[in-house]
Amino acid sequence: MTERYERLCAAVSKALETPERGTALQRCMQRGRDSRGRAIAALPGGEAFRAEVKAIKDRCIDRQDELVAKFTASARARGAHVHSAENGAAAIEYVLDLARKRGAATIAKSKSLTTEEIEINDPLIEAGLRVIETDLGELIIQLVHERPYHLVFPAVHKLTAEVAEIFAKSLDKEVSPDIPSIMKVVRAYLRPIFLDADIGMTGANIGVAENGSIVIETNEGNGRLVSTIGNCHVCVMGIEKIVDTIDEALTLVLAHPVSSSGQLPTTYVTWMAGRAPLGEGDAARETHIILLDNGRKAMRQDPGLKEALNCIRCGACMNICTTYGVVGGHTFGHIYPGPIGIPWTAAVHGLDKAAEFTPLCISCGLCREICPAEIDLPMLIAEVKHRVAKEDGYRRADRTMMDAERFAQVGSTLAPVANRVLKNPTARRIMSRALGIDANRVLPAFSRKTFTQLFPGHTSTVADPVRKVALFIDVYANFNRPDIGMAAVACLEAAGCEVLLPEQRASGYPYIGYGDLDRAREAAAFNVARLAPLAEEGCDIVAIEPTAAYCLCHAYPALLGGSRKSRSVAERSFEIFRYLLDHEPEGQADNLSGRRYGFHVSCHQRPMGSGREAMEWLQRRGAHVELIETGTCCGMGGTFGLKAGPLGQGLSKAAGEGLCKKIRESGVEAMVSESSVCALQLREGTGLPVFHPLELLRHAKGEKKQGGHA
Amino acid sequence: MNDTVIASFTKRYESLGGQVRVAVSTESAALAAVEIVRERGGTRVAVAGLDEPLAEAFERALAGAGVEVLREPFTGVKLPHGIDECQAGITGAVFGIAQSGTLAEVATNDAVRLVSGLPRTHIGVVKASEIVERFEDAAPRLRAIFSEHSGACTVSFISGPSRTGDIELILTMGVHGPEAAYVIVLDDAEGRDSQ
Ligand code: SF4
Ligand code: SF4
Repeated sequence: MTERYERLCAAVSKALETPERGTALQRCMQRGRDSRGRAIAALPGGEAFRAEVKAIKDRCIDRQDELVAKFTASARARGAHVHSAENGAAAIEYVLDLARKRGAATIAKSKSLTTEEIEINDPLIEAGLRVIETDLGELIIQLVHERPYHLVFPAVHKLTAEVAEIFAKSLDKEVSPDIPSIMKVVRAYLRPIFLDADIGMTGANIGVAENGSIVIETNEGNGRLVSTIGNCHVCVMGIEKIVDTIDEALTLVLAHPVSSSGQLPTTYVTWMAGRAPLGEGDAARETHIILLDNGRKAMRQDPGLKEALNCIRCGACMNICTTYGVVGGHTFGHIYPGPIGIPWTAAVHGLDKAAEFTPLCISCGLCREICPAEIDLPMLIAEVKHRVAKEDGYRRADRTMMDAERFAQVGSTLAPVANRVLKNPTARRIMSRALGIDANRVLPAFSRKTFTQLFPGHTSTVADPVRKVALFIDVYANFNRPDIGMAAVACLEAAGCEVLLPEQRASGYPYIGYGDLDRAREAAAFNVARLAPLAEEGCDIVAIEPTAAYCLCHAYPALLGGSRKSRSVAERSFEIFRYLLDHEPEGQADNLSGRRYGFHVSCHQRPMGSGREAMEWLQRRGAHVELIETGTCCGMGGTFGLKAGPLGQGLSKAAGEGLCKKIRESGVEAMVSESSVCALQLREGTGLPVFHPLELLRHAKGEKKQGGHA
Repeated sequence: MNDTVIASFTKRYESLGGQVRVAVSTESAALAAVEIVRERGGTRVAVAGLDEPLAEAFERALAGAGVEVLREPFTGVKLPHGIDECQAGITGAVFGIAQSGTLAEVATNDAVRLVSGLPRTHIGVVKASEIVERFEDAAPRLRAIFSEHSGACTVSFISGPSRTGDIELILTMGVHGPEAAYVIVLDDAEGRDSQ
């Protein structure tokens, strides 16, 4: 395990040395996200299609055996040969055999991840066949013998000049370093291959059981040519791609390109049922559809990974993952790159291969928010981390972070001493070695009295409460900044709420982040058991920390199998500003004006209003506050960025640099963030003070100034 | 009715980098095709998947303009190479989708697909009355096509010219297929066709 970890650290360090690469990749990712955003904004119903995609995939995967049989029968009725392959070797053997029987010399391929998955090219080439990738991106990486860097844009890491050079070298031609010249060369090179290939090999985006057709989506048109010309067509398709009806397929035909490139649909969508003759009256030609299992059936039986089968391979998740943006798809991936690469690699290439890059996930959760099939990727990834840890154990730093609540307890009991220790460089070096906490990160000071100790001494100011609120306090406001907790209480009381502090533990999100799902479930069960009865009596639950609210609303139900109690809690849980906006009295004093604030959205707010409520709450009070974002994570990833080393603060700072730069250039005087850990990262990365919104209120009241919540 | 659907189809198709010409009769559709082929410098054109009267009108007009026309069943033409030697391909679409700027082309022999896939210029022809508004409206049309043709059958959705973003996610047209894509919408509203 250490060896594996060292290897990964070395790869990360190397990426950190050449930040230009990362910047170029991040620019492409941003382009991808922007086009997606524009397309979704123009789509009737906006993001509503995601729930529909999830429903389609859920039901088709559940009916998989039946749909495979139905597809097979209808495709055969159209004249296709349908063959089931248990694994890659069986699929390869089938194609080899076919090529032998037909005396084929050349295979023209259009883009197919499934054939990448089983690494079909090498054995075919070894058998003497000429195998040519015709998708531009695939062709580029084939020429330099690399693996895909991105699911949809496999050569996204190659800049124009490099691509020109690759073609110049491989084709022995002059190629000027501009895209039109490259296109000319590629067109001329591939045309005879399209015209004369013996076998055309494609994947399929979808198989439609209703009419036995396969659906091939391409923009370049190579998929069309490859499936049109050769006398024999072979399609390798994973069995999870089969849906029942044309209507379902149409939904996916939109969802896929909207998410990957902001198109609706791709330029060419080929619905191919059976194989037509080339010209009118010519002899019928063959099509062979290979239905690949290769671990998919086992995945379907594995509750921890099953949801990954819903992936429609749009690549959106890798357009948003900040750490992928720094290290790229060769480090963050095996054959399947990016977030979805973690569960897919674990399922089809083995846990060992997945373990090579799984620690790169910092559990920001953004991939879940962008996925058109609403796949709970962070939870699937936590499952993989958990499985890896069961074999290898947890690293010291990860254990420290999972024990944050216990450390905080000790820290606050020994507050004055502990705070001196946190400021002492020697002590911090020792902590770095013993606990894996980076020695230079400025850690928040502990409060001698915790919120839990202070709250009982507080007398409510509401005479006739109109509603009851259970406050979910979490670690930071409890142990470090009880004043923020008390400010929350004051605001809730001003909104006519009676505030309760039921027995509770910290949210436990670090257990998800570092892959101890047993303890994550324990924490979830503990809190749900105490909060559910309150929720069921009509009490609302309010959290201050976005991650805590995310746990209550999303992670707990997922961890507890959607139990009734977890759903009751989720239904009545709110992030504080949503709640205050709904319930506080009109006409707030205009006392936050004067300063220009920037607002940072923490990742876990994305499914809960993306910080709009907190901004509106501040604006109601006269604050000038503007959103500053890149659309991805600040790089902190909860506590990931506190860890020492390249796979901690090193990667974290690089991942956050784009955002910090944007903030520095924005000219704001201070930042506002609801997340305590994001605040830490932004303070270090921008040199600006960073406040919790509730803290600003205290300033307005003229209480003692703090340099932002630290 | 036709006007709004033609307008939204046109807007979408042109946003994808294609061009739309509206014609009110078979003859004017054929003339539009001649004009496009001239603009693109075409001397040889393949035509497939058009209704017989349309195909004849197109052949007449193109031949009259000195353009060599290859027509189904492509007797004496070596497939696929003969089609590759054409500068433009003209195919008929059985329906269109306004929301996405899409033409749907049906092929029971793949020569049709070669005509829209190989040459540098593609001209699709669709009747305005066959353009559906929303993407999901394509489902019943597809279902009907696949039940009408119970054997081998391929439906191709085509939405603009061939494109790629594979280099730095920068949009570029015409890597393999047509770099220029046109649609001639035949506005067959009642009373117009006969004019
Ligand atoms: S949770 Fe965040 S860091 Fe992890 S894979 Fe998803 S986007 Fe990347
Ligand atoms: S996991 Fe979701 S976002 Fe990622 S490629 Fe698959 S469908 Fe797209």
